[in-house]
Amino acid sequence: MTEELRKSFHEALEDVRSGIVAEAALVTELIPRVTEVLLDLDLVGAQEIIDEDDEIDEMSVALEESCYSMLALQQPMATDLRSIVTALWANSHIERSADLCVNIAKGARRIYGTTMFSPRLRGIIVQMSEEAARLYRLAMDAYVDKNAGLAAALDDIDDRLDDLQYECVVAIFEAHAAGDFDLQAAIQLALITRYYERIGDHAVNIGERVRYMVDGWMPAHAAAARVRLSRTEEPEAR
Amino acid sequence: MDAEELAMDEVVDDGIEADISTTEAAENAQLAEQIVLRAADVDVYYGDHWAVRHCNMEVRRNEITAIIGPSGCGKSTMLRCYNRMNDLIASARVAGSIEYHGVDLYDRRVDPVEVRRRIGMVFQKPNPFPKTIWENVAFGPRVAGIAKSKSDLDDIVESSLKKAALWEEVKDRLKTSAMGMSGGQQQRLCIARAVAVDPDVLLMDEPCSSLDPIATTRIEELMQEIKAEYTIVIVTHNMQQAARVSDRTAFFTAAVDEEAGVRFGELIEFDRTEKIFSNPSDERTENYVTGRFG
Repeated sequence: MTEELRKSFHEALEDVRSGIVAEAALVTELIPRVTEVLLDLDLVGAQEIIDEDDEIDEMSVALEESCYSMLALQQPMATDLRSIVTALWANSHIERSADLCVNIAKGARRIYGTTMFSPRLRGIIVQMSEEAARLYRLAMDAYVDKNAGLAAALDDIDDRLDDLQYECVVAIFEAHAAGDFDLQAAIQLALITRYYERIGDHAVNIGERVRYMVDGWMPAHAAAARVRLSRTEEPEAR
Repeated sequence: MDAEELAMDEVVDDGIEADISTTEAAENAQLAEQIVLRAADVDVYYGDHWAVRHCNMEVRRNEITAIIGPSGCGKSTMLRCYNRMNDLIASARVAGSIEYHGVDLYDRRVDPVEVRRRIGMVFQKPNPFPKTIWENVAFGPRVAGIAKSKSDLDDIVESSLKKAALWEEVKDRLKTSAMGMSGGQQQRLCIARAVAVDPDVLLMDEPCSSLDPIATTRIEELMQEIKAEYTIVIVTHNMQQAARVSDRTAFFTAAVDEEAGVRFGELIEFDRTEKIFSNPSDERTENYVTGRFG
């Protein structure tokens, strides 16, 4: 009984979905690459990553424009509307994650020539990188499969990356205290741990938007809930 | 956790659960007060044809309620039940109950003429009388005996035309024929004519389908302006129009009972408009509003 009436619009929407997955795939590949650049303090590789970011930016702008065009021209409703809103949010998170990879590459350039990483630090950095990439893969699995359960689980899965970041910062301080790491490099590396951690947060945020796309769920926000509660004391007419 | 859940948790935590039931009772009373039209288990037949099946729907005061759905889903039929227009069709039969402020509209003692004075209707095609603009608006109040004198009628004509956002355009040509007006003006004249008898509810059956976009926007704006005074139910083929103007939306569809081999119109989902168009509960609504259903 179901008959596709808005074929061209839904194809355009599918193209945007594919675009989001492609953009996220670039970031997922970028994470281990930039980690290698960092650990090897590879200046050429760092420059490549910085240059390549323009392509991701271009991709992101094109996806954003497609979404605006559908909003302006197609009057999307229900799932279609939520898919477009989710694509816009996910696009922004992915683009920002690529920028964080660029930040890691730039951090690697700043650390260059000042120090070598201890095996322990290398180990933690590799684990953080793997966790960040894993979160991204899972976020995209949830997006592609419209899996709200997996999307919701990302927040818990992200705890591992948060723990690793803490562990890494402690190791950096210890290395600095032992005289193995100069202050400038220690600060740069501490910032870099934060960039990995933020990439994980973006994956979690994408998961939240996936849940909105699938069933209309909105992220719980304690402060917003308090404000709304104070308003309900004087209920509106409807 | 959303704000409402939060609110409820806090109340329970404080151990004043009794207040919840009191509040609920008060809210229910308030809700009953808000309901202008209540359809309960309404079935409508045209001879053997089952046009609407088991419809339950409440229309609230000072809200715009939109009815959407594909052709043949029973939406216009349902609208016409609200002011007994179906009485005029010999083969039509209405079962179930439709209450207007708690009064059964189909009770024998109820006068259908009075029903239609209180529950006015605006049709798809503007249908002014082939008379002057003034006479079009004055006709209803004169017949209903609302106005006593010519000057009373003048006042009603002016205020009705103002409510219909038409006064400025026609005040200098009230004695000219309504047939010389544009389609959009004619439709606003029909709205002025409907409000002239001081109704409570306005039923609109695709009021913009023969109008251009600007005239359509005028009518939509007008609906927003007058909803503070009236309760409006609008049937529209235009989903975007329902989304733009209404507070609540009812989605009807034409269903088929395979076993009995009969086709009938059915109310699938009735909710706040924002919910219907952003996250409907029923898959059939979802398919319709996203164009995945013919």
